[in-house]
Amino acid sequence: MSTATMAAEPAPSHVPGQSGMWFFILFEAFLFTSYFTVYMVCRGRDLEAYLASQVHLDIQVGVVNTLVLLVSSWSMARCVQSARGGDLSHALKQAALTAAFGVGFLVLKVGEWAVEIHRGFTFTLNDFSMFYYFLTGMHFLHLLIGFVFLGVVMTQLKRPTSRTQVLVETGATYWHMVDFLWIMIFALLYVIR
Amino acid sequence: MPRTNDRRLAIAWLALSAITLISLALMPPHAHAALPNATLTISVILVSLLKVRIVLREFMEVRHTPRWLAGFTDLWVVVTGVALTAAYFGGIAM
Repeated sequence: MSTATMAAEPAPSHVPGQSGMWFFILFEAFLFTSYFTVYMVCRGRDLEAYLASQVHLDIQVGVVNTLVLLVSSWSMARCVQSARGGDLSHALKQAALTAAFGVGFLVLKVGEWAVEIHRGFTFTLNDFSMFYYFLTGMHFLHLLIGFVFLGVVMTQLKRPTSRTQVLVETGATYWHMVDFLWIMIFALLYVIR
Repeated sequence: MPRTNDRRLAIAWLALSAITLISLALMPPHAHAALPNATLTISVILVSLLKVRIVLREFMEVRHTPRWLAGFTDLWVVVTGVALTAAYFGGIAM
């Protein structure tokens, strides 16, 4: 193992990537918290109707989607640490894996929506369905933006510059946000009673 | 990549996946509408926030960041937990 790979751990008090991305992440996180809060209030006010509509969702598909994004986050984290350690080839492979898992999530989600709509679970069916499509749709948009960041990460790893590590960490930070937002969305739409 | 870093990330991922799968195992089958369950709901919210915190600290490396940033992420976790719990019971009370 080369000395370069020993540098995978960040220095103390290190901000991964650009600080501006972290401010954006925190803003988005609090914004989604506001969406979640409104959803929970509305849910509480009409609990039986929301529970009745929740049966339209397949929790097993939700679990698979959660696992897919979790493993994508893992590969993204490994990408960052490999890049930091100087192993750009391994980092690039991890970034490609992340993209593949992201595509997997995307395909599963679109397929899930198609089945649900075919069965009559549409945006306008009721309040729960409106929240479902709004929250998963907003998340989907963020996922698509995540692919743009992944593209930047992979380009940087293929043709490294002095800014490569910062940009890799910035892209990774955004991708992890897509993952943790889904963790909450899955819990609130598919799991809670 | 040093083995300790790789192992730590792998452990974090395994824990996150295990929690997700255990949650599935605990769910009652619901071909029909489930019954309301406040304990289950609050537990799921708390466990989900725990998962998010693992993502933040291990995958996003917040445990290495300056205290102000780590503090803000923890603040979000706490605020979200309080807001969702209050919203759940508040909505029911309305």
